[in-house]
Amino acid sequence: MRVAQSTFAFNFLTQLNQLEQRQNNLQTQAATGQLFSLPEQNPSAMGQVLNLQTDVNATTQYQNNITQLQQTATSTSDAISGLKAISDRMNEIATLADGTKSPAQLQAYATEVGQLIQQAVQLGNSKDQGNYIFGGTATGAPPFVATTDSSGNVTGVAYQGNTSVAQVEISPGTTVSTAIPGANTTGTGPRGLFVDSRYGADFFGHLISLRNDLQSGNTAAIASTDAPQLSKDEDNLLYHVTANGIIQSRLQTASTLATQHNLSSNTELSQKTSADIAQTITELQQAQTAYSAALQSGSSILNLSILNYLH
Amino acid sequence: MIGLFGILDMGAHSLEAQQLGTEVTGQNLANVNNPAYARQRVLMQTATDIQTPVGQEGTGVTVVGIQQVRDSMLDSQIASETSTSNSLNAQQLALQDAEAALGEQVSSTGASGTNSIGSPNGLAQGLSNLFSGFQTLSTNPSSMAQRQTLVQSAQQLTSQFNQVSSQLAGIRNGLNQSIQNDVGSANQDLTDIASLNKQIVLAQASGGTANDLIDLRQQKLEDLSKYANISTAAQPNGSVNVSISGATMVSGITQTDSLQAFDAGGGQFLVRAATAGTTLALSGGSIEGEINVRDGALAALQSNVDTLASQLITQVNGIYSAGFDLNGNTGQNLFTGTNAATIGVNSAVVNDPSKFQAAGTAGAPGDNSVVLALGQLANNNVAALGNQTFSANYSQVVAGLGQSLSNVNDQVANSDKVTQMLNTQRSSVSGVSLDEEMTNLMSYQKAYEASAQLITTVNAMLLTVINMKTV
Repeated sequence: MRVAQSTFAFNFLTQLNQLEQRQNNLQTQAATGQLFSLPEQNPSAMGQVLNLQTDVNATTQYQNNITQLQQTATSTSDAISGLKAISDRMNEIATLADGTKSPAQLQAYATEVGQLIQQAVQLGNSKDQGNYIFGGTATGAPPFVATTDSSGNVTGVAYQGNTSVAQVEISPGTTVSTAIPGANTTGTGPRGLFVDSRYGADFFGHLISLRNDLQSGNTAAIASTDAPQLSKDEDNLLYHVTANGIIQSRLQTASTLATQHNLSSNTELSQKTSADIAQTITELQQAQTAYSAALQSGSSILNLSILNYLH
Repeated sequence: MIGLFGILDMGAHSLEAQQLGTEVTGQNLANVNNPAYARQRVLMQTATDIQTPVGQEGTGVTVVGIQQVRDSMLDSQIASETSTSNSLNAQQLALQDAEAALGEQVSSTGASGTNSIGSPNGLAQGLSNLFSGFQTLSTNPSSMAQRQTLVQSAQQLTSQFNQVSSQLAGIRNGLNQSIQNDVGSANQDLTDIASLNKQIVLAQASGGTANDLIDLRQQKLEDLSKYANISTAAQPNGSVNVSISGATMVSGITQTDSLQAFDAGGGQFLVRAATAGTTLALSGGSIEGEINVRDGALAALQSNVDTLASQLITQVNGIYSAGFDLNGNTGQNLFTGTNAATIGVNSAVVNDPSKFQAAGTAGAPGDNSVVLALGQLANNNVAALGNQTFSANYSQVVAGLGQSLSNVNDQVANSDKVTQMLNTQRSSVSGVSLDEEMTNLMSYQKAYEASAQLITTVNAMLLTVINMKTV
């Protein structure tokens, strides 16, 4: 085949361009550590990367949700512990306040119960991050309002909240709630903490009754009515202690699963996008060698022509 | 016998012939780096023999023409490949712009700001941020700080949609502008070709070939093929007829028609024959590439992004409008607009995030049922998005664009190889080889010297003859 003057120069330039482009691509890979960065370079992997990214973001969000729930669950647990301590003391007093105690002693018990009622109301109005935690979804106002008489005795505690609890998603399609409504007298829905008509629990009502009976010295009523009622309140609280424990355990498991899921997603992301640096460097060196060889041979051929030999 | 004066004549003609050879060699050498030049060679033939008693005797050499070495089939193959390659280049450019408009690029300081790999600046991350915002608010629905963050994420997403839409529209406008510019350039080439046809016909009417004008015309034809795929028909008088997609543009020495870009409605610029008025279905060239990508991949991308935006608006508002804000109000929409260009966030919510309708009932600030449902939308399969989630649908759109561009990249690379091969073949046929020309030059020089020597010898012989007669 006849080779014209322009042919060699044109082909030489084309080959150099190709080698330079290859070097450029490998250099970019080595510098960024990535096999590709744009959709055109690997369309299907790009689609998978975007899906994985969405998944990682979502799982991270679930972890954040779980952290929030854990915080509320802890605040709830603290309040329940306080209530349990009050309940234990109430049951103790109900047992101790029998016919062997003097009226003075009974009065002392009555005073103590009175104070514990107020403490219980305070616990019922616990807050977590600015929200009342025992009012159901009515988180803006104190769930319990106590009415007192002229002597300062609490005569009734009214519940201002509702029986709805907010669900939070901890994994796709799975929601939990750490909220406990303070009272539930509707007969359906989540179990109330202080009051629940289905289980005979009415913490404040029973405490007020105990205090009144102590004040009037009616030890018979204490034994026959107050003690069994307070026992039901204790069972109700025990239920919530256990339930809270179960929720916290469940949240911990969900958190661990989410962490593992993200770990494996990130590993997959890395596998899809990361360049093997050792291989890249090797290929880059080969490309550079080819480039300098092409330059050397091309230049020496370009320089030579018949004109060198004509006199 | 032709006699001494005959030999002188023969010598003189030979000198002329070698000189012409040298001139043509000079022409070739001068044009060695002219890519449009086809090498020329002198065609020499023995002059007419005369009848002598001892047989036919030659009378020297005569130049019958200066021939251009050109392969017309290669020329038309190159023109055709030029059309293909320019069409692909136009598509590649537009698709690269579209890829940049989407802005999805993998980096290792990606997604969550940690060392997670991902594409942090595109709609994929924007969608994730929106749904994360809904989820975060669901954990504390009365928090003003989280409402603020959520509204900002929503605004950022709608801005991203607006920007992508606007950039795609810009690319579309750019393509329309390019079509009009290319039509102008093509028409200029058509005018030039007609004019060159006229000059060539004139030059060749008096005998011989107008080689340099033919080179120029071929250059114009190849320039024209960049814009549109052409069909040529060589005419006996030396002109070339040019037609584009069946419409005759140049016939002989006259330009019979030209290209015209027109708006077929809705900013869809097409091309028709200006005089005949018929819309042309082009088959190659940058104009066809621009139309193809504008009405094909680019239109599909714009449509996909619009569908994504409009479904987001519909699905979100459908859940949101039934919700209650912190003041017990309901019935408002979160997103305004209908597509990617017009999507926005309700300005009332932007100004006062307490108006975000997160609750399922009025008067319960801790009720998150609506914002929880909004967060769970991320995992819902939407019928109008091919039964996929928003994010999965978008990933598919990005991968689809990437695949289109990757295919075009491969086609461009192939076309470049074919073009290179054809060019190599053409320069093998028509290109100037320095070695060959220098060798020819030496040949002509030696022949010139030899002919001069012949004349000198005959001159001496003549003198001898003349001096035979002395007074």
